[in-house]
Amino acid sequence: MPALIAIRGLRKAYVMGDETIHALAGVDLDFQQGEFVAILGPSGSGKSTLMHILGFMDTPTEGSIVFDGQEVAKIEPDLRAWYRSNRVGFVFQSFNLLPRLTVLDNVALPLLYRENSDPVANEAAATIALERVGMSHRLDHRPSQLSGGERQRVAIARAIVGSPSIIFADEPTGNLDVKNIDRILDLLGSLIKEGITVVLVTHDLSVAEKAHRVISMRAGLVQEDRTR
Amino acid sequence: MKLFDRIRPAIVNGLRELQANKIRSLLSMSGIILGVASLVAMVTVVQGMVGNFRQFVDAMGGIEKITVTREQLPKEQEHLAELSEGITMRDVERIRKTVSLVDNISPEARVGSERLIVEGRETTTYVTGVTADYLPVAKRWIDPGFGRFISDLDVLNMNDVIVLGSAVVPELFGANVDPVGKVIKIRGRRFTVIGILNNIEGSGMQVRSANSRSSGSSWRWRNSGALIPVSTAQAKFIGNDRLSGLGLRIGDAELLRDAVEQTERTMLAGHKGLRDFAITTNEQTLEDFRKTEVAFKLSLGGVAGISLFVGGIGIMNVMLASINERIREIGVRKAVGARGSDLFLQFLSEAAVISVVGGLIGLVVSMGIVSLMNYILMQALPTGAVATLDWLIMVQGLAFSVVVGLVAGVYPALRAASLDPIEALRHE
Repeated sequence: MPALIAIRGLRKAYVMGDETIHALAGVDLDFQQGEFVAILGPSGSGKSTLMHILGFMDTPTEGSIVFDGQEVAKIEPDLRAWYRSNRVGFVFQSFNLLPRLTVLDNVALPLLYRENSDPVANEAAATIALERVGMSHRLDHRPSQLSGGERQRVAIARAIVGSPSIIFADEPTGNLDVKNIDRILDLLGSLIKEGITVVLVTHDLSVAEKAHRVISMRAGLVQEDRTR
Repeated sequence: MKLFDRIRPAIVNGLRELQANKIRSLLSMSGIILGVASLVAMVTVVQGMVGNFRQFVDAMGGIEKITVTREQLPKEQEHLAELSEGITMRDVERIRKTVSLVDNISPEARVGSERLIVEGRETTTYVTGVTADYLPVAKRWIDPGFGRFISDLDVLNMNDVIVLGSAVVPELFGANVDPVGKVIKIRGRRFTVIGILNNIEGSGMQVRSANSRSSGSSWRWRNSGALIPVSTAQAKFIGNDRLSGLGLRIGDAELLRDAVEQTERTMLAGHKGLRDFAITTNEQTLEDFRKTEVAFKLSLGGVAGISLFVGGIGIMNVMLASINERIREIGVRKAVGARGSDLFLQFLSEAAVISVVGGLIGLVVSMGIVSLMNYILMQALPTGAVATLDWLIMVQGLAFSVVVGLVAGVYPALRAASLDPIEALRHE
């Protein structure tokens, strides 16, 4: 089966003053559909840069990315936005829920930017997504009225609401207590049953252990890629 | 996505932002509020003044009226004074024959201020001798049920008949009495009342009832006075055939200058070259007023323009502050699929919402200003310039505020649209 994402020779360089920083120094990786992958590495290893590029938030300096059979390394900003809206979901460490929106509106947000967006259908989809993460009793609450674990479940609902092919979770358990860490990781892990690829970016080995495949990065290169 | 579907959530967001930052929003809106309020109020007041002045000019006989009055001879002709016979009915005939542009000629013979007496009551008002042409020239009429006007026959027979101004009636007869047919004495002569002139009502100071003292003082002079046949005035009061002046009405105001020229030539020819008359029109008065109106509009427009400009800066300022506070939100929106154009539209719509709300408040304020200006103008001006808010001006004021909001919102919206999502998400 062809990989959902295939990256070859991926490089990303930043110029800071007189210095050029190679955040990615030539990365080759394949991600299969329904995989639960953890990208592990210390700060500055390039794992966040890789996630941003794969999540269509950034473009590589060099290299190729084939997403679902399409070369997407150098596509236009509006097309990247389309991929973010239709094919990718994000879960952040600090939840990044919009404080003035209700839980329901936060979850429906990605659908707002789709072609032929319909408010009624969006609300229905958001309600279903919240049911899946066990948050359907908090539809009209504001994020500030929720606990950390609840906020992250809402964030996961927002990531899955658009039925993405892949979800990137950047340190999703970084702000949670132990009880909630397990719950959130179980929830993310359960998504692979629906064929969603989950890529977990973390520097915490114990969190990475939950994934089926662990990619270790260092200095912009893949140091280890092991499947358990 | 349809444009409205993209704008709708942005409008909701805009209102939410306004609600969340009430004081800040109100401060940022103050420029727009003042701008729209002053724009709408000033345009309304100036228009009211213009309208009221037109009415005033109309009450003076309108732009189509030419007035010929008796005048001292110029210095170089003073030695010919005994040749001057003044303005007479012969001038009326000459103008009627030669000046084709003139539709009606109203000869007027001023008797002066006279005591009008009726069974124990009396009042003093000015009496003028006129003909049937007085009505079309002065743009007056007699309402049905209020008698008739002086006819050609009255003039021919030198009848002792009188037409009263509406303000004179209650002074002589009290309220609710029909004076038509009643007899009035002037210098011992008995005059039969044959009609009451229409009551002139200025929109500014309405003459609500003819004997009202509290209102209508500025229009009162138009409702005073009494008219008798010109021949009666000349024969029984003045004692000669001289007229105090002529009122000429022309059909087309565009031909006013030609008519004045023709009248002047005819008068000069009839008076053997003597300049013992003056010809005046309301055109110059109107022209002066038009210049004042333009000056008013320019200066007030400038004030409103500056206010709106400041209002625009206020909106831009609050939008930039809002974007600074919501950088992370912008990052989140971009991360979940918002394009630059979506965010541009969102923040532009928010700016428009602020300006529309500001504009609406401005309209409410303008109503207050117009009421206040009305009150002040009614006290200060003889004609009482009264302005009424016109929905078209209000719509224009609101449209101005929206344009200002949109223009002011472009730069902040562009900034929001161009933010890098990764940088925005990292923003603390």
